[in-house]
Amino acid sequence: MSATASTRTRPLWRTLAIHLALIVTCLVTLYPVLWVVKLAVSPAEQMSASANPLPDLQAIDACAAASPHSAWPRLSCALRHFAEVTTTTTSQGTWLFGRQLLNSLVVSTVSTLIGLVLAVTAAYALSRFRFPGKQLGMQSLLVTQMFPGTLMLVSLYAILERLRLLDTLTGLVLVYATTSLPFCVWMLKGYFDTIPRELEEAATMDGASSLQTFVRVVLPLARPALAVTALFSFLNAWNEYILAATLLNDEASFTLPVALKRYMGEYTVEWGKFGAGALIVSVPVMALFFALQKHLVGGLTAGGVKG
Amino acid sequence: MLVAFSGPAFAADERPAPLRLWHAYRGGEEEALEQSARLFTQQTGIEVQLLGVPYDAFSSKLQSAIPHGVGPDVFIFNHERLRSFRQMGIVAGTDDFITPGDYLPNALAALRLEGRTWGYPLSLKNLALYVNRDLVPKAPRTTQEWEQQLTRLSNGKDRFGLAYESGDFYLHAPFLFGFGGALFDPDTGRAQFDTGPMARSLAFVKGLQDRHYIPSEASGALVKSLFNDGKAAMVISGPWFAGEIDTMRIRYAVAPLPVVSETGLPMRPFLGVEAAYVSPNSKQPEQAQALARFLSVGDAALLRVKLGRQIPANVAAYETEQVRGDPLVASFRETAQHAMPMPNTLEMSRVWEPMKLALRGVLQGGVSPGEAGLLAERRYRALNRERPPDASPWPWIAGGVLLVVGAVVWAVRRPRPKQSFQKRYPDTVRALAYLAPAAAGILVLVVVPLAIGIGLSVFHYEGGQYTFVGSANFVDIVASRGYRITEPLSFYFTLAVTVLWATVNVSLHVSIGLALALLLKDPLLRFRGVYRVLLIVPWAVPNYITAMMWKGMFHRQFGAVNALLDALGIEPVSWFTHWSTAFAANVATNTWLGFPFMMVVALGALQSIPHDLYEAAEVDGASKWTQFRRITLPLLRPALLPAVILGTVWTFNMFNVIYIVSGGEPGGATDILVSDAYRWAFERNQQYGFAAAYSVLIFLVLLGYSAFTRRLTRASEEVYA
Amino acid sequence: MSEVILSGIQKAFGDNLIVKGVDLQIRSGEFLVMLGPSGCGKTTLLRLIAGLEQIDEGELRINGRRMNEVPPRDRDVAMVFQSYALYPHMTVRENMAFGLTLRKMDKAEIARRVQEAAQLLELSDLLDRKPKQLSGGQRQRVAMGRAIVRQPSIFLFDEPLSNLDTALRVQMRGELARLHRRLKATMIYVTHDQVEAMTLATRVAVFNGGLLQQCGEPLELYHRPANRFVGGFLGSPSMNFVAASRTGATLSGQGFSLPAPADLDAEVRGDLLLGLRPQDLRIAPDGVFRGEVEAVERLGFDGFAFIRTEAGSIAARFDKGVDVKVGDRVAVAPVGDAVHVFTADGTKALRHPSLPSAPTTVEMAS
Ligand SMILES: Nc1ncnc2c1ncn2[C@@H]1O[C@H](COP(=O)(O)OP(=O)(O)O)[C@@H](O)[C@H]1O
Ligand SMILES: [Mg+2]
Repeated sequence: MSATASTRTRPLWRTLAIHLALIVTCLVTLYPVLWVVKLAVSPAEQMSASANPLPDLQAIDACAAASPHSAWPRLSCALRHFAEVTTTTTSQGTWLFGRQLLNSLVVSTVSTLIGLVLAVTAAYALSRFRFPGKQLGMQSLLVTQMFPGTLMLVSLYAILERLRLLDTLTGLVLVYATTSLPFCVWMLKGYFDTIPRELEEAATMDGASSLQTFVRVVLPLARPALAVTALFSFLNAWNEYILAATLLNDEASFTLPVALKRYMGEYTVEWGKFGAGALIVSVPVMALFFALQKHLVGGLTAGGVKG
Repeated sequence: MLVAFSGPAFAADERPAPLRLWHAYRGGEEEALEQSARLFTQQTGIEVQLLGVPYDAFSSKLQSAIPHGVGPDVFIFNHERLRSFRQMGIVAGTDDFITPGDYLPNALAALRLEGRTWGYPLSLKNLALYVNRDLVPKAPRTTQEWEQQLTRLSNGKDRFGLAYESGDFYLHAPFLFGFGGALFDPDTGRAQFDTGPMARSLAFVKGLQDRHYIPSEASGALVKSLFNDGKAAMVISGPWFAGEIDTMRIRYAVAPLPVVSETGLPMRPFLGVEAAYVSPNSKQPEQAQALARFLSVGDAALLRVKLGRQIPANVAAYETEQVRGDPLVASFRETAQHAMPMPNTLEMSRVWEPMKLALRGVLQGGVSPGEAGLLAERRYRALNRERPPDASPWPWIAGGVLLVVGAVVWAVRRPRPKQSFQKRYPDTVRALAYLAPAAAGILVLVVVPLAIGIGLSVFHYEGGQYTFVGSANFVDIVASRGYRITEPLSFYFTLAVTVLWATVNVSLHVSIGLALALLLKDPLLRFRGVYRVLLIVPWAVPNYITAMMWKGMFHRQFGAVNALLDALGIEPVSWFTHWSTAFAANVATNTWLGFPFMMVVALGALQSIPHDLYEAAEVDGASKWTQFRRITLPLLRPALLPAVILGTVWTFNMFNVIYIVSGGEPGGATDILVSDAYRWAFERNQQYGFAAAYSVLIFLVLLGYSAFTRRLTRASEEVYA
Repeated sequence: MSEVILSGIQKAFGDNLIVKGVDLQIRSGEFLVMLGPSGCGKTTLLRLIAGLEQIDEGELRINGRRMNEVPPRDRDVAMVFQSYALYPHMTVRENMAFGLTLRKMDKAEIARRVQEAAQLLELSDLLDRKPKQLSGGQRQRVAMGRAIVRQPSIFLFDEPLSNLDTALRVQMRGELARLHRRLKATMIYVTHDQVEAMTLATRVAVFNGGLLQQCGEPLELYHRPANRFVGGFLGSPSMNFVAASRTGATLSGQGFSLPAPADLDAEVRGDLLLGLRPQDLRIAPDGVFRGEVEAVERLGFDGFAFIRTEAGSIAARFDKGVDVKVGDRVAVAPVGDAVHVFTADGTKALRHPSLPSAPTTVEMAS
């Protein structure tokens, strides 16, 4: 990305104004999350009735005073909920949290990969090939998003039962992969439309097969869209709990959000653990985004002069 | 052959298959259940596999799993759902195994239906008065005494004599009964709302709130925090609240709810019974019954008292030393004697929503206590659809056949294009190969459930059975029966709200997302990576928790938004009292949740614009704004449009924010079509057919929208033709 | 080094016939330029040769082999696209090597060829850059390099110079000519720019409306255009056309008459179309076409006057010594018998001037 004349000479006040605007936006953005942090680090399992989003240090101090034997009393008080959430075990004593984290990672990653492979091929066909029913295909993908999902659960359950995929992570993976497909296909198709066809023709002339063209020319150029869709499908699978809780019948095969939702009972909520769990659950997402963001903004302009 | 092998020869295995036990317990209650199960295994040699399910997914899981034979042998649930469980056929009778004398009579009564017993009562849930003993040395016995104490204990600002979830009818019921009210007309058995006791009980509670004796819009979390901070001297809650109290700070006692001085009647709470149910599809029915029974009596009952702090339904438990010396259990046992077993009738399930409407209407100030009954009555009548007459499916089938024939005729008689198929569509075979896997997946896992869902809309669901009613559901909705179109329950009003909801949200998502993406793609901006990561946080943190934080932020008294307004010298707003502010609260939450997605999409889409175009434009002297309008926007369209279109569709069907934040307040006015459909399906007697009809209408509206977008996408393809 | 034969090639998009039956023989090793106005189907024809589009009717043969059904990669052709179509995510080196890597060629050989092509095109210092970091001319050269490394027997160029500025275009023209001499491959070059056609081609094929108008050596086309279109398309300013009719030994039209050239077939009579190159007209007091000067273009050494006559507007060249101003009334006359005669509808040439002994300067815009 080469710097244009105007950005190079942007006046200082504008730079400052932009940073100010971004900082304010970040603060607004983070404010509700601070509440979750506050929940997570407060020693009590309760939401506090005040407008102050910062952790209640007095409560932490009080807790620390009550447990003088710990090496880092304050820290261990603040992190108590995190410890409780991450060290859950089954009645047989196996590390349940680890197992559920692994389930979540596997389910989300695999469904993202499967979803991406299916979406990428379908989107490419919809963007490039001439065949009957193309418009209809695109529209029906959209149409599938229009019916509220809650009413489809019952029949979905019956179908998975028929396919013998109930109570399996495979079934869950397939459901997640297909439910995020419509978006992924639309997104990728839209992006493929912007990639000049001549690049593919150049590859054809260079002797590339249709598959080679696709893999070595089109896909690298669609990296931003791939990053977006990957993030989307991953999150779609990562935070879902109704289906997971309904389809899976074993604690050891639950995903993390199911475990997390368990902290919200019929009458009472274990706020501390709920908050801590929510924060833990969001860490891998942030990490994934961090890893993907250079592709997100790399794409066609990759390798430009770094500004 | 196979049958022979798997038959008796191996059935006599030493160890029977484990029993599956599902529940939604947490903490001490779960601990008690686990220990009891272990005891059962020790005594019988039968393994028990426990599965804790999130509460909000539990009943739908049971409804799905048990009929398919993959459910639990025993499960634990409160008795309110018994009737619907029974209709779905997912509970087995227990009369052959139960010893009625083991249980408190009113607990057992709660599990009776159709003259039979359907479970083993485990524990009682009912409301009582928790008092902070340092502030309230002596619990009030009458409302007169109570009011005197409350005057003393409240300071009009942030100290309250009493705190409870005043907007919930479950908590209001004791007041109603105390003022001599009855929920059902003794002659007809029909629910009644417009009664004197109703008005008086509402006026009483409204009086408490107006005098700042109780906090308004109190949620469970707020009640807990006020009590633990010593800012609420008394709390109305159930046994579960005992575990929520920070006993390091607060010394408490439990007392029965006071007697209403006006009437001399005690404030009778509802009695809820938690029960162990046996699945009729259990492969080992006898063992399952044995397990369920085991959990309800003896050591298991004592474990529940000790670890779970639950109030046992088992009579014998009260004879033991342990329970007798337990003040909490003793107090609740006493209050439970006055408690009124919550009816498990259909009529009871129809009371909740009208009552909630009346209660919140009064507390939020829009409705006077006298009018509230009528309001509830009207809602009750609108919600209770008479069962539509059965219709004959033949006209429909004939219509369908005609449609198909017509389509075939049209396809055959269509003028043939000049060119051969192969020439017009040279890539058909290749396209098929590329599309087949995705299409197969979507067909099986998305389209089939969708088709079934659509099919439901011409049926009526009642008592576990679907009957064909033709277009009756649609007619009911479209005719806006019983409601003027400007009222919240009318389809048209909700449709207008939904369209507004989708439009406002999507415009905000796109404009904020795009603006941030434009700022953040600038290579000269320092820390842009940091900003980017911070700004996607709302997307990363699960929204079922952040939406609750937002709800808290909009609390009239303790919310951050009003604190900010206060700091700016603006009058605090009661957010959920008016449609506009409640809608704004929903929008603010959903905007916060949704803009990062659009930002990410826009960041990616911006990459598809070649940079030289800007350089060229700059040379031509185009201003930044012109560049944005002439280059960025048109070229962004193909890559951004999918997200915008789908975003609109999702927002249209996005009900959890509304469900969590405004909950449809005031009076269902901020509900959108899906949240209404959801209520019909899950909160209004499982009217699945009616909910499906709602969904089909949503579907049709969106189909119209998609016809419109088809033009947009076509135009955007031309940009790159 | 390959011969390409097109016979009866047709191509339609939807219901629009774009290439309407083209017969053309391209000799091995020649530099054939396809020239025509924009939209006439040149690119389409080139893509048909490349195999990027399917031929509807007719046959394409390369070295005697029917190619209609052969996929592009087996045709041994390389193509340079108008937009260059460089792979944005690859460096210059990777761009050039891409085709060879796909063919699983030996690494060392790839490196050698890329190096060689880079040297030839003066790209050696830029090999590790990405396309975004190159100037237009450099990108153009990379696009050519990508074709060169493959050492195909046929090169296809689709207006490769149209995105460059004038100076670069002149320079690249020279390089292309040098390249052709060096590689001795068959080159098929599409352009709408007659200067490129005249300077580069061994032969030019002029197209209009999906049909081949004429194919021949550049000067032959200039001097002996087969029809009005070719006559008017080549040369700048354009050939003047005036309607005339022949009566006996004179050709006369609106407000003029001139003696019919002696070599004009006696059979030819009635309505005709005369073609007069501005360079073949001189301002003379006794000229045949009279009128008022509407505009003057001075090019230094000489200039052109645009004169409104009764027969229509006529451009004529004048030498630097002559003083012509707008508004002057002047008369012009053809030099010698420099008159092209076409049928009245312009579809066929009937007579061309005999070639002058001293070559006229061919004026063209660059
Ligand atoms: N893929 C296509 N689909 C439809 N029409 C096309 C297509 N490609 C070219 N055309 C049409 O064919 C005509 C000739 O195009 P082209 O061969 O690109 O012309 P030239 O290269 O001579 O300028 C144009 O009118 C153009 O609109
Ligand atoms: Mg062209």
